[in-house]
Amino acid sequence: MATQYGPQYGQGYGSQYGQGYGPYSGDGFHDGGTGRRRHLLPAGLRAPFEARSWREFGYVLLSLPIGIMLFTYAVTMVSLGAGMLVTFLGIPVLAAALAGCRLFGVLERARARGLLGLEVAEPEPLRTKKPGVLAWTGALLKSGSSWRALLYAVLQFPWAVFSFSVALTFWALGWGLLTYPLWFWVFPMWAGQGGIQLYGDGHHGIYLDNPFEITVTALVGLLFTLATPWIVRALTTVDRVLVHGLLGPSRLSARVVELESDRGVVVDTAAADLRRIERDLHDGAQARLVALAMDLGLAKEKLAEDPRAAARMVDEAHGEVKTALQELRDLARGIHPAVLTDRGLDAALSAVASRCTVPVRVEVDLVERPAPAIEGIAYFTVSELLQNISKHSGARSASVDVWRTENRLMLQVVDDGAGGADLSRGSGLAGLAERLDAVDGILVVDSPAGGPTRVTAELPWRR
Amino acid sequence: MLECWTMSYATTDERGCGGPRNVEDRVRVVIAEDSVLLREGLTRLLTDRGHEVVAGVGDAEALIKTITELHDQSALPDVVVADVRMPPTHTDEGVRAAVQLRRAHPGLGVLVLSQYVEERYATELLAGSSRGVGYLLKDRVAEVREFVDAVVRVAEGGTALDPEVVAQLLGRSRKQDVLAGLTPREREVLGLMAEGRTNSAIARQLVVSHGAVEKHVSNIFLKLGLSPSDGDHRRVLAVLTYLNS
Repeated sequence: MATQYGPQYGQGYGSQYGQGYGPYSGDGFHDGGTGRRRHLLPAGLRAPFEARSWREFGYVLLSLPIGIMLFTYAVTMVSLGAGMLVTFLGIPVLAAALAGCRLFGVLERARARGLLGLEVAEPEPLRTKKPGVLAWTGALLKSGSSWRALLYAVLQFPWAVFSFSVALTFWALGWGLLTYPLWFWVFPMWAGQGGIQLYGDGHHGIYLDNPFEITVTALVGLLFTLATPWIVRALTTVDRVLVHGLLGPSRLSARVVELESDRGVVVDTAAADLRRIERDLHDGAQARLVALAMDLGLAKEKLAEDPRAAARMVDEAHGEVKTALQELRDLARGIHPAVLTDRGLDAALSAVASRCTVPVRVEVDLVERPAPAIEGIAYFTVSELLQNISKHSGARSASVDVWRTENRLMLQVVDDGAGGADLSRGSGLAGLAERLDAVDGILVVDSPAGGPTRVTAELPWRR
Repeated sequence: MLECWTMSYATTDERGCGGPRNVEDRVRVVIAEDSVLLREGLTRLLTDRGHEVVAGVGDAEALIKTITELHDQSALPDVVVADVRMPPTHTDEGVRAAVQLRRAHPGLGVLVLSQYVEERYATELLAGSSRGVGYLLKDRVAEVREFVDAVVRVAEGGTALDPEVVAQLLGRSRKQDVLAGLTPREREVLGLMAEGRTNSAIARQLVVSHGAVEKHVSNIFLKLGLSPSDGDHRRVLAVLTYLNS
């Protein structure tokens, strides 16, 4: 049960693809409550009656009128604007065309969300530096997402015509032939022939009129009916691609969103670290020094009248100083261990391992040293994992391995403790995963109940 | 995590300076401080001077509870010495508790201790009245005599403001042009006045005569355009209001 975190697997892309739905795969659908219940019928026979199929069919049917409107609007406005470009008036008309297409984009995304279950994030908003109509027009004309919305308006129409015809034909043919046994009597009664004419050249024709032929016709209709949902689904796949590709945020802006959230994590982590350091100073060394000052103050006053009491107080104060020094040393190491800067990961991790309550084997197999920032993150990752092992695992032994593959720095910390460590349960591990994510690293936790626990971290060698 | 203990101290043996001259001068103190080390240190410091530490608690909630209980037994202490930062949030619960206690028990002196002094907290504490208020850096406990003096002063309804707070107030004040008109000595006296010291304490500190201090004080009041008031703690408030306005 490996849980993977990282830009490739984590929430990073969540906003882009919606709730984990692939943009093109048909399975991206909330299937109207049928959920994962066991079904009596296989999927192939069930499909024509599923709400999902009907929604997709509805989407395709709606596509045509919407496409006509959108296409007419876009083409009219753009040709109007383009034609007027020689005069200044063309620009606002063009801007209006683009603004309209963006607005249509909002509706189209909503339609895709409602009927196809496709979650597409809004494209990047217009970035205007100054308020005012002119700046807004400029931003509209410059933004890639406006032009992509226009392209959608143009491309969606021919596809809508095609998919509408195909879907409606298959649907009508399927249900029509399937129900043929119920209405074939129309022919002898009203049309003067035995049944549907399959072939005819004036001399003779083939009519579907005997029971065998009627049954076969109904079976063919059944095949069409069963095939229709899958054909419609295949058709909507193209719509999904169109909506996702042209009405969503561009790849670049999705990356920007991801980096913005990474930067947020980095800033938050830095602020939390500063708060922690301040707290440690406040509760630790600073409090000790106040107590020390108090002891010395008392001793000073006592010196003349009660030298023995004063000597005892100086003695206590001496003890306080030593404790304060120890605390300051620990705090400084917590901020950044000097040995890491001086001697690198091997020496620093050996020191951490020696402070762990569990015997730890450390093996660092690196020819050269990674970038200082990466080295620091690697150090704190391992030291936090070892702290976890000391506190929670109940392990008897542990090991730390550090090596390099290509341009990644790999860390692995293994212990033989109780296991059951989990990234999702708001533990220190989740914070660790976030920190690694912020530098495009990955944390993989493999910890079945009963152990052993294996935590692997991957960091970029340099960035 | 209510940590509460009581102790009393026999006042028969010899005491250092700053202690009460008579048993009636003995100050009854409640200490609120989350660091056990400092709480014990403070207790020792005060009991050593012959004062009585009625209770010691570790957080603001326990402080308010203890004071309420003592009030119900009509055994309200003279002064509360409280740390600003205490559990559970480790922010400013000490100040908030102090403000609350001052409102509920106007006669109770409150001395707030902190690793840092902020002029904002001082303003909150002093809101309305400067009677029986103190706000000092924790470092001040090193000067045992002065610290115990401050505790006694606050217990008796006086004021004890940290020199750093006063310096912040003086530096931040918008009356810089008027302040610039004071002589260096007058500025010194103004600072000590703002800290809450009496004329005789100022005279002792600056090693000048009582009359000289009185002259400086009336000069200062004249230059700042304040009407001289008689009570020491009222004059603190007048000075602070002036600096803050």
